[in-house]
Amino acid sequence: MFNKYRLNFVFLLFSIFLVVIFSDLFALQVLDNQENTQQIENQNFEVFYIPAARGEIFDINGNKLATSNLEPYLFLNLRKINDNNKNIYVQLLEFNFEDITSSEIDEFFKSNDVFTKIINLSEYNTDIRLRLLDYEAFEVFNLPTRTYPYKELFSHVIGYIGKPNKDEQNDFPKSINNEIVGKTGLERYYENTISGVASEVIVQNGDIVEIKPPVSGKDIQLVLNTETQNIVKESLQAGITLANKNFDTINLIERGAVVVQKIDTGEIVSMVSLPDFDPNQFVLGISEFDFKQLNRTKAFNNFAIQGLYPPGSVFKVVAYWLALNEGIFPETALNAQDYIDCEGSLSFGFDDGSKQVYQDWKADGHGKVNLSQAIKQSCNVYFWDIALKIWRTFGNTDSEALLQEYSKQLGFSSLSNIDLPFEKEGVVPDRELFEEWTISRPELVRPEGWLGGDLMNLIIGQGAITTTPVQVSNAYRTLLTGEKSAPFISLDSSDRNIENINISEEFVEFLLNDLNLVTNPGGTAYRSFQIMGDQIFDIGGKTGTAQNAGELNNTSWFVGVDSISNPMYIVVTVVEEGGSGSAVAAPISRRIIQHLRESDLTPVEFGEITE
Amino acid sequence: MINRKITLLGPEGTNIYVIFQYLLFNVISWFTLFNITSELSFNLENILVRQIIFTILGLFVFFFFTYIPISNIISLSTVLMISSTILLIGVLFTEESLGARRRYDLGIFDFQPSEFTKVIFVIFLANALSRKSNNIFTIGLVITNLLLIYIQPDLGTTVILLLLVFFLFFLTDVKLKNLVAFSLLTFTVFFVLLEFNLVNTFQIERITDFYSNEVKDFSQQQSRLQISLGGFLGENLSNTSNIDIFVPVQTTDFIFSSFSKSFGFLGCVVLLGFWAIFGLRVYSLITTTDSNFEKFLLSGFIILLYLQIFINIATVLGLIPLTGDPFPLLSLGGSSIIAISSIFGIINRIFIENNLVI
Repeated sequence: MFNKYRLNFVFLLFSIFLVVIFSDLFALQVLDNQENTQQIENQNFEVFYIPAARGEIFDINGNKLATSNLEPYLFLNLRKINDNNKNIYVQLLEFNFEDITSSEIDEFFKSNDVFTKIINLSEYNTDIRLRLLDYEAFEVFNLPTRTYPYKELFSHVIGYIGKPNKDEQNDFPKSINNEIVGKTGLERYYENTISGVASEVIVQNGDIVEIKPPVSGKDIQLVLNTETQNIVKESLQAGITLANKNFDTINLIERGAVVVQKIDTGEIVSMVSLPDFDPNQFVLGISEFDFKQLNRTKAFNNFAIQGLYPPGSVFKVVAYWLALNEGIFPETALNAQDYIDCEGSLSFGFDDGSKQVYQDWKADGHGKVNLSQAIKQSCNVYFWDIALKIWRTFGNTDSEALLQEYSKQLGFSSLSNIDLPFEKEGVVPDRELFEEWTISRPELVRPEGWLGGDLMNLIIGQGAITTTPVQVSNAYRTLLTGEKSAPFISLDSSDRNIENINISEEFVEFLLNDLNLVTNPGGTAYRSFQIMGDQIFDIGGKTGTAQNAGELNNTSWFVGVDSISNPMYIVVTVVEEGGSGSAVAAPISRRIIQHLRESDLTPVEFGEITE
Repeated sequence: MINRKITLLGPEGTNIYVIFQYLLFNVISWFTLFNITSELSFNLENILVRQIIFTILGLFVFFFFTYIPISNIISLSTVLMISSTILLIGVLFTEESLGARRRYDLGIFDFQPSEFTKVIFVIFLANALSRKSNNIFTIGLVITNLLLIYIQPDLGTTVILLLLVFFLFFLTDVKLKNLVAFSLLTFTVFFVLLEFNLVNTFQIERITDFYSNEVKDFSQQQSRLQISLGGFLGENLSNTSNIDIFVPVQTTDFIFSSFSKSFGFLGCVVLLGFWAIFGLRVYSLITTTDSNFEKFLLSGFIILLYLQIFINIATVLGLIPLTGDPFPLLSLGGSSIIAISSIFGIINRIFIENNLVI
């Protein structure tokens, strides 16, 4: 039974507690307030921060791509140094560490901090450490060291670290005490997750009164595959070497990028950009000379997400989709199966009486072509005809930007939202953009503004349009799955929204079939894929060769699809100034596809120059 | 029961006083946290935004329990106790953080099951004591839960729960000599565990150090000074210049010290005064209600809340060793707020069922 008297007793007890607390609070806050305030003002605290270990980065097979190891460092407590004992410490340092020069030793004593870092002790005998710790001004703290075991291989994806600047200190407050911030790549994108909270060493009058332990950063699990990454880099390098051998270009060909994406999930299996750099160089601080050297070659650009190139013929799939969806075909063709005559050029007139002639890349023409043949042989005339049809039907009306709408639906001219920082979005030109440019960047547009010719350029991926390799990869993925979502490198990526786009299974089958024609006999990439024998009947792709202004060589593109029966991967290859897509980008992609299919690897060989 | 119309605030109206106190304590917490951050940026990292979100979630929990009849809670008490046991077993398999396994990492916030065990303990014990059921199953569950929290390790919560059991037994008609025997048994078990090295010595050392050493714990020493800094009116009302002081993390276990600094002795009197008034209101309800279960339940809740407050303040004042107990509804922390919201919700329900509705 409940005993009410005992309840009264409990309440009485609690009241006594309350009185005790109140009296102590009263004594503290009212009676001793002045005295304690004085005591606080006299407290001479200093805080010294020791960086926390950053989280480690793992590839899909558990290989460590970035590690954090704690190493013991010797520190000197400058508050314990006075004129009497300074010489003893100087001698101790000179005696024990031959590598330290006397001018460096002088510098140690000039620091304003409580502690000054002397040297990494991990390579020294533990006896030295124990002996030195007998002296009160020596202290040993463990500092984390970042290493990237694969050196250059993941430079652009993982990025590098460095000292935070003002803006970075604002954006990532934890970096102030860690004195380290991710500058690019995943190190930057996941800075808040991957960085820990620095340890606090609280010092009063030179004595350590409290050490608050650090909180390590969180590890990051990636979907990248190191083995694939290796093959991809090798192949891209081989392709670039071949391009230099076969083309007489004004610039050295040295830039390129490859993206390998899984079709079902959108995850990135491999991403390579050349030229690259070794992120380990940044861990201890890179020299200004080395930095400038690397910067000059644009080694810090991740061309897979930042390289803006006109896509050339790989863009033709957009018009392909539009044609089938809207039923818009060349004037003389009724449907996708109908043939038109390609004579190698197209001459046409506009309402204003002007007449123009457009030359296909193949001067003799492709002969009889329908939609499938136009993709297979990369026939420009066929697509120009479609552009003319759009122009004549919708030109100067609200619906004239039909092609642009289709390309934007596939993600062109907007960020793919991959989990990497500083991605570029590129442009898909239309009348509005040209009007805007007339004011802001008049050197880019003709005074006449947006014309039918611009649309004809756009439909074959030329002119003002720019895109990144990752955009192209993701656009092909959308066309093959009907799903538009952000590609991702880490399993922790937050943007997993899927936008469903109306794409029929019938269309996917049709598209795969026609992409397959490209690598088959008569297709633009046949020569590069021939070596794979019967396997070519299960592989598809699209070549692209985008013209550049001036005397620059063409941009070489290839989008590969592996396989046709079971589409698993998209491989997008770009070589800046690499010339014909079928000659350079296609054989690079072929070797990567050989690896993905686990068939025998054959060297990258120069293919056929088509477009 | 008198027929009342169902309202938005409760099945038959709501006790304005309970909801008022609940909101008041929450708002005091907001102001304290605002004083600590002095910035309001709208993201989940901001402690004030987090606390406001927890309060809103807490309000839902409050009203959820307001709609649950006490009879349902009685019948659910064993189920609740078993789920608490399961959650406490599960937490042992989580990743260790700061030397203990106490919480599930749910991404944006952590879930700490022991906060809910405290509430469930009261419900379960109130049911057992009012039915005088002392079978092996009941006792087994209580001891299992205590041990599971003890090995996390979480000595602070274990001590609170042991004191809770002690006080609730004290409120029955059990003979005092039996109670003394119970206490002696607990101590014996504890020392046997100590003898066989089954006790986390780190925590014991902290206690022995506390009472043997002249030098107090750094964070407690600093928090005591920080409280003193508040003066009579607190920093907000008096125009004293802001003096910097090194203090431990203030948002959770040490929040009372920054509350005292901001609002002074006057603030402490007001805050603890409101808690005292709340205790007296519940005391009057205990004497009013006829149900033995409700008597034990309400006493248990009040004892639990007061113990937490006393232990928290005593820690911050440096009177007892560091325990790591949050101050109810003042400390930052989702699990604690949600658990205490359920206490307030159940108390509100008892007020309603006893027709004490304003």
